[in-house]
Amino acid sequence: MSRPVPVPTQLSRPFWEAARRGELVVPHCPTCGLRFFVPEPACPGCMARDWRYAPSAGRGTVYSVTVVHRAPGPGFDTPFALAVIDLDDGATLLAHVDAGDPGDVVIGLRVHVDFRALTDEITLPYFVPENRPSPSITE
Amino acid sequence: MNPADRRLPVVVGVYATEQALSLPDRDAMDLALEAVSGALMDAGLAPSDVDGAQVDWPGPGGVPGEGSSWARVLGRDLRWTSDSMLDNAGSRGLLKAAAAVRAGFADTVVVGGCRLVSRGTGPVGAGVALEFADVWGSYVVAQFALVAARHMHEYGTTSRQLAEVAATIRNNGTTNPEAMMYGRGPYTADDVLASRMVATPFHLLDCCIVGEGGAALVVTTAERARDLPHPPVAVLGGGMQYHQAAYANPALYREVGGLGRPAAERAYAMAGIGPHDVDVFSLYDPNSFEVIRQLEILGLCGEGEGGPLAASGAIAVGGKHPVNPDGGCLAYAWNGTQQMTLKVVEAVRQLRGTAVHQVAGAELAVVGNAGSGAQHYEMSVLGRMR
Repeated sequence: MSRPVPVPTQLSRPFWEAARRGELVVPHCPTCGLRFFVPEPACPGCMARDWRYAPSAGRGTVYSVTVVHRAPGPGFDTPFALAVIDLDDGATLLAHVDAGDPGDVVIGLRVHVDFRALTDEITLPYFVPENRPSPSITE
Repeated sequence: MNPADRRLPVVVGVYATEQALSLPDRDAMDLALEAVSGALMDAGLAPSDVDGAQVDWPGPGGVPGEGSSWARVLGRDLRWTSDSMLDNAGSRGLLKAAAAVRAGFADTVVVGGCRLVSRGTGPVGAGVALEFADVWGSYVVAQFALVAARHMHEYGTTSRQLAEVAATIRNNGTTNPEAMMYGRGPYTADDVLASRMVATPFHLLDCCIVGEGGAALVVTTAERARDLPHPPVAVLGGGMQYHQAAYANPALYREVGGLGRPAAERAYAMAGIGPHDVDVFSLYDPNSFEVIRQLEILGLCGEGEGGPLAASGAIAVGGKHPVNPDGGCLAYAWNGTQQMTLKVVEAVRQLRGTAVHQVAGAELAVVGNAGSGAQHYEMSVLGRMR
């Protein structure tokens, strides 16, 4: 058994295609200006249906974090730091922050995206502490 | 409450099946049938007295998931039913049944059932694949942990305060013969802190148990309740709040820290009471922290003050605000969605004066169900009638 692999939908396919290219994109609503995550069938700000993916610089701040010692299933190396990240340019997402020692991931930590391939199709937006080189290379 | 209010919705029957970590000789249908029969017997009613069923129908038999399957075994046509597991449990189920009774769509509604979620595959969670959560190992405990961690960061809430909550509620289960954890413990806060870490800040003993069992309750009108055996328990008020669906997005403290407060304010106003009038609280306790958050949103203290209040002894059976005298989900039972109904069962027993750990003279109870980190809250105010 391995880690659950995301199955792209019509809403998310451009996100995963961009991730494979090493680009972080988030839904952006041209009508009301909101950037949001996860993708929804209509904008959570104004219910417009014509939102589009827009690039993010991939820098942000840890809003909250838990160090998970007991994973929900096989395929995870524990412990890992599961964090909520507020992106500087809008939208909030869930990801692992790899700081080497997961205990070093604290609320307020500045992070940037670090893409790592999970499968041929799916590349995941990990985050690593800012001003630090990526501590480990792709899995 | 007005004695002339003939359609006032009241709870007249409650029942909990055995609750255990595993019930290998039982299936969900068998437990659901026992729960319904037990609640009707407690109410002094026959199956044919029921004209509404918000009850899980797991099958075999009937059509699994279709509530109207109950019409055939109850032996009569129904006027009210539900096909949704969350509408069949706890405060949400109770309030929808009460609304139906109040409006006259039905006179006597059974709410409850059984779903053996612990026999499913994968972690307990939404029950469907979540594209942006599952891949990160973001499951129930971790999503609640993300909320707790932010509360601790903002207000200085401590792991020891969390541990005091867990120990207090767990110790109620230690001496409750119906509890899954009966005879285990007692626990001190140090025991909780010494148990292995699951997801910071939650140690193993900060987290609820996972098991199997069913439950049901019967709602009818105050008029119908007059000649029934138990003192009726009135549904005096209620409120619900839904922030978003379960687990797809992480619960953010800045969005859900106050989740349930407006619902509680509406429920208190409807009942004509305040939080300090309440004698006993039956609250969702999937972990120690969620109790602390609810003390705040239920108006028992200010935001950020829940940790010290919970650790002060206030939530003990003899305290100012007793919480979960049955041992809660931490030690009595968590069984999927019907753990929410168990919260109503305990509140009704307290108001009848028949609880295992009875709060002396309890006249008003609050039932708080929540979930998913928490993304939803359903609260009801119950009161003893005579």
